[in-house]
Amino acid sequence: MHMADALLSPVVGGAFWAVSAGMIGWSAKKISNEADGSKTVLMGVLGAFVFAAQMINFTIPGTGSSGHLGGGLLLTVLLGPWRAFITLASVLVIQALFFADGGLLALGCNIFNMAFLPSFIAWPFIYRTIAGVSSSQARIAAGSISAATAGLLMGAMSVVLQTTLSAISDLPFSTFILFMLPIHLAIGIVEGVVTWGVLTFVARNEPALLAGSAKPSRIRMVATGLVILAMATGGVLSWFASSYPDGLEWSMAKTSGKEELSSTEEPLHAILASAQERLAFLPDYDFRNKSKMTEETNASPSPVNVGTSLSGLLGSFLVLLLAGSTGFLLRKRAAETAHS
Amino acid sequence: MTWRQRPDFSEPPSCPLPVSDSTALLLLAMFVLFVLSVPKYDLAGVIAFAAIPSLLVTAAGIPFAPIMKRLFIASPFILFMAAGNLLLDRAPFHSLFDLTITGGMISAAVIVTKTMVTLTALLSLLSCIPFHRFGTALRSIGVPEVFVTQLLLVYRYSFLLTEEAGMMQKARDLRSFGGKGNGPIVTARLIGSLLIRTTSRAERIYMAMCARGFTAALQSRPAAPLTIRDKAALALSLIMFICLRLIF
Repeated sequence: MHMADALLSPVVGGAFWAVSAGMIGWSAKKISNEADGSKTVLMGVLGAFVFAAQMINFTIPGTGSSGHLGGGLLLTVLLGPWRAFITLASVLVIQALFFADGGLLALGCNIFNMAFLPSFIAWPFIYRTIAGVSSSQARIAAGSISAATAGLLMGAMSVVLQTTLSAISDLPFSTFILFMLPIHLAIGIVEGVVTWGVLTFVARNEPALLAGSAKPSRIRMVATGLVILAMATGGVLSWFASSYPDGLEWSMAKTSGKEELSSTEEPLHAILASAQERLAFLPDYDFRNKSKMTEETNASPSPVNVGTSLSGLLGSFLVLLLAGSTGFLLRKRAAETAHS
Repeated sequence: MTWRQRPDFSEPPSCPLPVSDSTALLLLAMFVLFVLSVPKYDLAGVIAFAAIPSLLVTAAGIPFAPIMKRLFIASPFILFMAAGNLLLDRAPFHSLFDLTITGGMISAAVIVTKTMVTLTALLSLLSCIPFHRFGTALRSIGVPEVFVTQLLLVYRYSFLLTEEAGMMQKARDLRSFGGKGNGPIVTARLIGSLLIRTTSRAERIYMAMCARGFTAALQSRPAAPLTIRDKAALALSLIMFICLRLIF
């Protein structure tokens, strides 16, 4: 599913361009340090292989329609994440510039959705954790199907988020996601089955090609479990969070009669409150418009709330990012102190 | 993408451009950003920007039919999203005689027109720049050498492998009766076979390239920095785009 230029605002498109360009630069640096000419040629030829493999259509059982291989997970298993990311990004650049798949500004989003997510999320956290270096058919099948499905679902979710944040389309987030996820779930399962079939064929006939897949560490497996748990808590369990005031709000209500103190009339307070109101893209853990609407109608009988899920997921990601960055900086500082 | 819709990798004819290729790519990026910054209900603003790809297509003598064909192939998702606006936003926007034009009609038209304008500009400009010049232009604007080499290799070998994949698909179709053998499992073996052939081809290519002095990068031409003429063209275009946004 290629994101299209006309559905993006310049800010959202530009932000994803910056992320994807940064990842290309970083991956290129990683690859340059290895300086292996044979792998350079292999990457080029495998990029062309993805083009070619996408032309071989197959019938999807029970639907009467046909599909083709995406190739993201397969390339990552064969080349590793850095090289696969560069290879997939190059295929997407050619598709965008010469076959009008998406567009120039949407290229950043497409690289993120179809190259970054399978290479840096689906492969290390799902495929490698499940399949590792095992030659067990069951584990390869489970790894391929779950990683390909998760990669496609994350890509579809990302398309919906990019479209919603751009505010060009009037399709509501919940309708759009309900349309996108079931289709991509089906496509993901078929992609996983074909990827498993290709990997099995290669493992039987040319096992040396798969030698690059490394065994996951125990820490990585624990981390993966914790990330999945955090996602489940933020994404689903948050629906059932209590709507009663928390301890502080309860105490405030008991002492002053109000759950929140009203702000003072000082200009600095007003400026900061206005800035917070503008910057908070999910106020009160919900969509901006929806939270207003719910306040007006005061009717939300179903606990299932996409805005709350999104807030939970984004919150988990942001905390993960912040904690990871802090840890990285502290480690760097400790290493510098030890050197000096 | 089916075998009959296989991509045409043939090299486009080289057209002389008044600026360097790298400047043309920067101008294209600037143009796309300006078009996409046009508000949701401003159809006139998008149509004003259509003048630029129209000028490019007519001045360079680019055949319009292949561009339209590509736009048609790229359009289903856009049409779906535009239809969403058409159905969901029914607030009256204008009234023309007895016909009420809704906000959804305008925003849907803006989505479709933006797609046509940006993709026509992209395809017509890229049809003026042969791929080897495109690689040099990317180097000039600071794209990493590894990535440019990768793009050049993918483009070069796509010719060979699409041909090979097409032959494999044709052979499978000729041997399958009543749709048998067209399922994912058989196709996975076919793709696996293509993959193994591809990797052994990569080894042969690498050895041939090493024999000709290959050192992990395809450096055909050195990157050229932007000249004063290029910078002037960028500044003038920026002023023109700002004027278009302000006037329409």
